[in-house]
Formats: sequence, structure tokens, C-alpha cells
Amino acid sequence: MQASPRAKRQPAWHMLASEFRDATLNEKGSGEFDPSFVITKLGAKVNRVIVAGLLERLEIRETANGSTMYQGQLRDPSGQHYFSVGDYASESMRELTVALTEKIEAGEPELILMVAKARWYQTEEGAVYTSLRPEEACIIDGKTYANWITRACQGTIDRMNAFSASLELEPTQQAYASSDSIPANLVDGLVTSRNHYGEIDLEQYKLNVMQALDIAEGKMANATTAVPTLNLSAADEDEGGSEGSDLEECALSIIRQLDQGDGVDFDAVLSNANARGFSRQDSEAMLDELSERGVIHEPRFGWFKIVE
Amino acid sequence: MSDGQFDTYITAVQKECPDVDSETIAAAFLKYQEDFKIPPQDSMRSIIRSLNSSKSVPSTRSSGSSSSKSRATKKVERLSELKADDKEIEIEVEIISHNLREQTIRGEQKQIAFGLLEDNPWAENGDKNRWEYKDWAPSPNLAPGSIVRLEGVSVNEYQGKMSLNINQSSRVVVIREGTRAVVAPGEAQDIATLPSDGYVCVVGRVISSREDQIHKKDGSGSIDIVRGRLADESGTIGFLSWESFEHEVGALLKIDGAQVRTFRDTPELNFGRTTKVELFHDKNFADTETLSVQTVLTISDLRDGSRDVDAVVQITEWAKRTFTRDGVEKYLWSGQIADPTGRCRMSAWEDLPIDENNLPITVRLKGVRVRAWQGIPDITVDNADQVEILETSPWDEDIDFSTQTVEVVLNELATGASRVGVSTEAIVVSIREDSGFIQRCTECRRVLRDGHCATHDANAGNTDVRMRLVIDDGLASMSLLINKEGSLDLLAMTEDDLSTEISSNGQSDFVQTLRSKMLGRNIRASGRTIVDEQGGMMLADSAELVEEDAEMKATEIRAQWGVN
Repeated sequence: MQASPRAKRQPAWHMLASEFRDATLNEKGSGEFDPSFVITKLGAKVNRVIVAGLLERLEIRETANGSTMYQGQLRDPSGQHYFSVGDYASESMRELTVALTEKIEAGEPELILMVAKARWYQTEEGAVYTSLRPEEACIIDGKTYANWITRACQGTIDRMNAFSASLELEPTQQAYASSDSIPANLVDGLVTSRNHYGEIDLEQYKLNVMQALDIAEGKMANATTAVPTLNLSAADEDEGGSEGSDLEECALSIIRQLDQGDGVDFDAVLSNANARGFSRQDSEAMLDELSERGVIHEPRFGWFKIVE
Repeated sequence: MSDGQFDTYITAVQKECPDVDSETIAAAFLKYQEDFKIPPQDSMRSIIRSLNSSKSVPSTRSSGSSSSKSRATKKVERLSELKADDKEIEIEVEIISHNLREQTIRGEQKQIAFGLLEDNPWAENGDKNRWEYKDWAPSPNLAPGSIVRLEGVSVNEYQGKMSLNINQSSRVVVIREGTRAVVAPGEAQDIATLPSDGYVCVVGRVISSREDQIHKKDGSGSIDIVRGRLADESGTIGFLSWESFEHEVGALLKIDGAQVRTFRDTPELNFGRTTKVELFHDKNFADTETLSVQTVLTISDLRDGSRDVDAVVQITEWAKRTFTRDGVEKYLWSGQIADPTGRCRMSAWEDLPIDENNLPITVRLKGVRVRAWQGIPDITVDNADQVEILETSPWDEDIDFSTQTVEVVLNELATGASRVGVSTEAIVVSIREDSGFIQRCTECRRVLRDGHCATHDANAGNTDVRMRLVIDDGLASMSLLINKEGSLDLLAMTEDDLSTEISSNGQSDFVQTLRSKMLGRNIRASGRTIVDEQGGMMLADSAELVEEDAEMKATEIRAQWGVN
């Protein structure tokens, strides 16, 4: 069942979406069976994660070669994960995905926990996105979710502490490995992370953790912004609106980012939005809507610019 | 529009992408900063990547402009051929060490790399020279242990000391990726950190030594050897000398060029003709008695292939067994032993003064060896004088080791030796599809695949229940196989309940139900472990989900964190 020259199974990190989303660095060994990693700003070398949250979207996507691909978004207190389930996924994962898609369509959001592989994607323009490929997932209740949150928070705090400790040291393997404040499993990742990301601001992660702990403690009022987590019915209501504005923001930022003066071509907008989990169909509709509202214009056919 | 705020970053980007004009780069930085709130140090890499990918620039630093006026290259093999004012040198070297550091050069923060390199990289044991080097624009191709060809480097002389400068225009070509752990020759390593193979230098005290013979398999004679054990404060290691070895127990030696070979799971030092063994003087080196304490192992330390093991253990079961080899009836005594760290087996080839009806007893074992069978260590006693029966045991008499389980963290189980009588707590990260009913071969109990056994072919099989999970503590993971009793307990089901549920809902539905109950949750399991190169496996006879109070834990985390 297993190929023999195989690397040991990589451990799974409990991680909030914000830390995973912020990562723009990956690492892959040269051997066929070498695992690949996404390295977060806090120095986690992530091959596999355990994440949980509200399933916000899950839709089937057409792909060029006719295979089936589902894309979805999972929201935890700190932000969203993007994930995809394709034909390569196990049968049970695909069955669950179909069932969940039906629930989403019927307007029944669910709390989901998944064990997933970290994926890394770079657009032609050089922007880096992370996403997940779930291996196994299940519907969970609020209690299991709260327990997951505490573990993810503990993990984030441990990494923040190690990161802060690393600032006092030369960013080298040796210095980190001999420090008592840096756990062995963070040494490699922190060296790479410090050299790649430079200065980072922990404030956002601290806020995420505080808010997540509020949720785990049941102090929903303290979770200042309207995070659609345990409060399923409320989340359900603003679903439509937030999805639309997410896509709008996404489309506009793509155009703004990629515009070299002549506007951005239709396909570039769609494929970049697709990498962020929006269907080409929705994106196309959004481009129409934005044109109608006069937010963007089409200086030549198929090229979009933001109206200044 | 950039007002020069990105100038240092633009210069850095241009090093990688020499053909791109600074305005394009400045515009890119500005766009990242304004539109995405990404400061230049964060966006630099993405910008370089996008500029490079648009016109696949080779990853070397040779630029078009400098090659037009290239000087004559001085190609050398040895560092000793170089003079202080040599430039444009080409040489093949091995990188011994590589460090990065920030340095301020003319008011600008720059990263440079420095370390040691060694010439004559292809000779296994030849004469080699080492120089320091500095890489002014750190090449990703330099890694410790790699052999590289440096082109266009120059010599730097400072106070009579020569070193190499790898300049921005230099080329670094990797010839062999770094794999070998590099250690300075003649520099002793701690015994505990020796690699599992390769040539090493150690300083250690002889704590045991005896003459031995190796009989050639083809019967053509035997070779006289010396076996023994060497210790420093970090640990001990067995040795085997193929040459005469006359140092006595207690001698402090420096041994250079010994070869480490790993037999079963146990590394051993081999001394041959090229090994240099000499007396070493260090008044502060620990004495034999102190060092010998390290050979006293607990059951959790036992590894397949260990020799010269001393231990104090309790014998909980003991029996004489008879077997026939080559038509001759032979005897073997074997049983169960335990200590506070776990349980394992012991076998003796001579009769020991043990009364089976008066167990448990405590014994001290000296110089015994360890074999493992199905992952469980088995201590082998070759002579009765290796066993001393103790009047009193060093631990509380009331402890019944035969039923105890020792709590061990998963990471330690996964990276340690195979153990019996352990329990651990970790997160369930996978529930395998074949959890539930399985068919086992009637001959060997192996799980049948499509009604077939790998060695006994098609057979009806016996029905069994087991669950197959993967558990993970964030540092390591392990397979967890729970036997029938443990599985049914965990599910709070009888075998009939289980059979009814699976036949009415289907196997995949059953597994998905298990996931909803268990995935991402904390589980505590007890049993034994088997650890090999494939990874670790726990065979559990009991398992339970751990109930947790998230509210309390969150409050606790916040309190410990101390951030409000």
C-alpha cells in the first residue's frame, strides 16, 4: 500500500487562518518523496495542518481537462482558508464534499474540521497564495470547535514566543538550536522565515488569538468584530452580501495590482480571482456589474481599468 | 514619485535582475506598498520573482556587461597555488561551513555569507587545506558539505592571512549537493552526537575491553579482534578493533579516523589500519567509575543490537523451554522482566538460580546484549555469572511492574526504541478506511487482502475487529492500531451492534461517523510500540477520548500568556 522509499509522515500544525494565509514562502527538497512545506512568518514549516471553522462556500468548478474540482472557504476567527478537493482526493473526502456542497446550497452552513496538506500557488505575476487540500474532514459541533481553537491559539502563542526570542539572536541555525526559548521543531523554519520575511508585526496575530480565545471562552460579545463563527444564523444572513463584496474587493485589487497602464485582460482577472476561490462565472458577472456601476471601464475590448 | 525611498531595495533587485530599469522596479514597490500595504522588504522577493519569471534569467550572477571585458582566468587545483593578489580564479572546493550575517557597508545594511572552505575536495583522505571565505552577495548554492566550482573569485590578504572573496560577479556552480556532515579532522566529537556512519575522531576512556574472535563463515579460519566500550561524558559506544589493541580499561585515548558502522540499531566504532589511536592527557576527564554508570540502562533505553548493557530489572515470569536444533535437544530459559520505565523479555542460555514460584525477584545484569523480536527488546544472558540476584530492589516493593503502564509523550515514543507497557496522549489526525471488521489469515493472523494472505494464499480467514488511526502530537505522528476489545470499548458497542451498523449504513458511512466523533480530538491509548525506519506504530489494547473543557483551557492560556 505504501511506496517503500517514503519520508516519514509529517506532523500536523494547529493553525489559525491568518498565519497560514500570510505565508508567501515555500520549500521543497529535490528528492521525489521529499515533502514540500509552506513556511509561515512565525516560522512553522507546514506540510500538514489541522484547521477548523465555518464552511462559508463550497462550489464545483469547471476545469480545463474535464476533471471535477470543488473549491471552498473555511472561516475561523482570524480569517479564511481556501481549499480544493479534486479527483485525487480519497473517495470518502469526495463523498463528504458532495454532501457538504448540497448543504451549503440549501443554506445550511456547518462547522468543519479538516486535516489538510498545505499547498502553495504562484500566479504568473508573482503573487503567492496558499491553499489547502483536505485529506480527511468531518462536521463538528461547537464544543469540538472551541477545543480546536484553544489548541490553535496555544500553537500560535508558542510560535510568537519563539519568534520574539529569535529576534534577540543571530538568525542562524546554531544560535536558534542552542536557545532554550526556541523549540527544536521551529529552528529550521524560523531561520528561513527571519531571512525571508524580515521584520514582521505580531500585533495582528495577537489580536486574532485574543479574539479566538474570547470565542472559545464563550465571550462572544468581546469578539469585537462580527466574526461569523458559532453564531450560525447570523452568519447565514450576511452571507450573500459579504461574498459579493469579497469578490468585488478581490477583483478590484487584482486589476489595481496588475494594471501596467493598459488595463488588465479579462483572463488574467478571472484566473487570479479563481486562485482566490471565486468561480470564473461569478467573476465575470462581477466585472459586468462593476462596469455598469462605472467603477471600472474597458478602454479596449477585454481589458479592464479602474476609473480614476 | 518614489522620492528615493526604495533606492536601497532597487539596487538589491537590480543585482538579481540587471536588465530591468529602476523606474519599473520602483513602480512595483510602490504598488505593493500602496495597494497591498506590503513594505519593500516583504515585497522584494515577489518582485524579483515576477521580473525573473517574465524572462527566465539564469540563476548565475554573470552579467552581460562584465563578460565583455573578462580577464584571463587563473585555474588552480590547490589553495597553496594562489598568491595574495590573484584575481579571476577558478577552483573546486568543498564548503565546510556557511553562515549568514548582516553587515553595514558604507551605511547600507547588507547580508553577507562567510565560512570555511577546503580544497582537494575529491580526495577521500588526502592532504587538504582550509581557507576562510566571504560571499558578498550570498549565493543560495553554497551549503555546508557541498562541492562547488568557484569562478571569478579573488584572494584577500589581511595581516598575512589569506582568504577567498566570492564577489558579486563570481559564479558558483554546484558539483555535488551537500550531504556529508562535515567535521574538522582531528577535532573530537561527543560520543552522543556521532553520526551513524562515516569516519570520526573521538576522545574517550576505555571502560571495557576483551579479546574475541570472528569465525569466518566459509570456515577458513578466524580473526583475532578486540571488543570493548569507550565512554565520554556524553555517552558510550562499543568498539571493535581489527588491529592489536593493548590499552587497558581506564586508559584515556584519542582515536582519529575510526569508522562508525551501524549494526541493527546500534552504532559501533571500528578501528582499522588507518585509525590513529594515541593516549590522551586530560586531568579533568571523568574517571572510569563515573563513566561506567552510563552503561546502566533502563528498559526504555534498550535498542536492538546493544552490547555491554548493565541494568537492574525485576523478573516477573520465568520458564524453561526446550527446542531441537540439528537433532539435538537444547534448553533455553526465558520470561518477562520489568523496571519503572517499561517491560520486555529476557532469555538465558544457562540455568539461573531462579525459582519460578517465588517471583518477582530483582536482579542486576552485567554486560548482557539485546536482540529484538517483533520490535520488543529481548535481553540475552549468555553466562550465569552475568546475573546477580539482589536481596532488595531499588524501588518500592509494592509496585507490580507486570501490569504497569508508563506515560510517555508521543514524540519520545516515535523517536525512541520499541517499548511495551506504555500509554500516550495525542490528536487523532486520520481514521483509516479499513477500520472496523477485518479478516485475518487462519495461519499467521495477517490481514487478508481480497481474501488472500501474502504468504498463505486464499483462505476463509477469521473475523476480527480493529481500528486503524494516525495520532499526532504536533512533533511526530504514529499509527495507532486498536485491538478488538479496545475498539469495542472505545465505540461503546458490542460486536453485534457494530455489525448491524456497518451492514445497514455501509463501511464508508461508518468511518465518516468515526471521524465526526474522533478527528481532531485528543485520544489516550495504551499498549506497546514498534518503531523502525518506516516510522512508529502503537498496538493498543485500550483507548479513550479525552474530555476537555475549552472554556477553562482558554482562560488558562490567556492567563499564562499574560497579554490582555
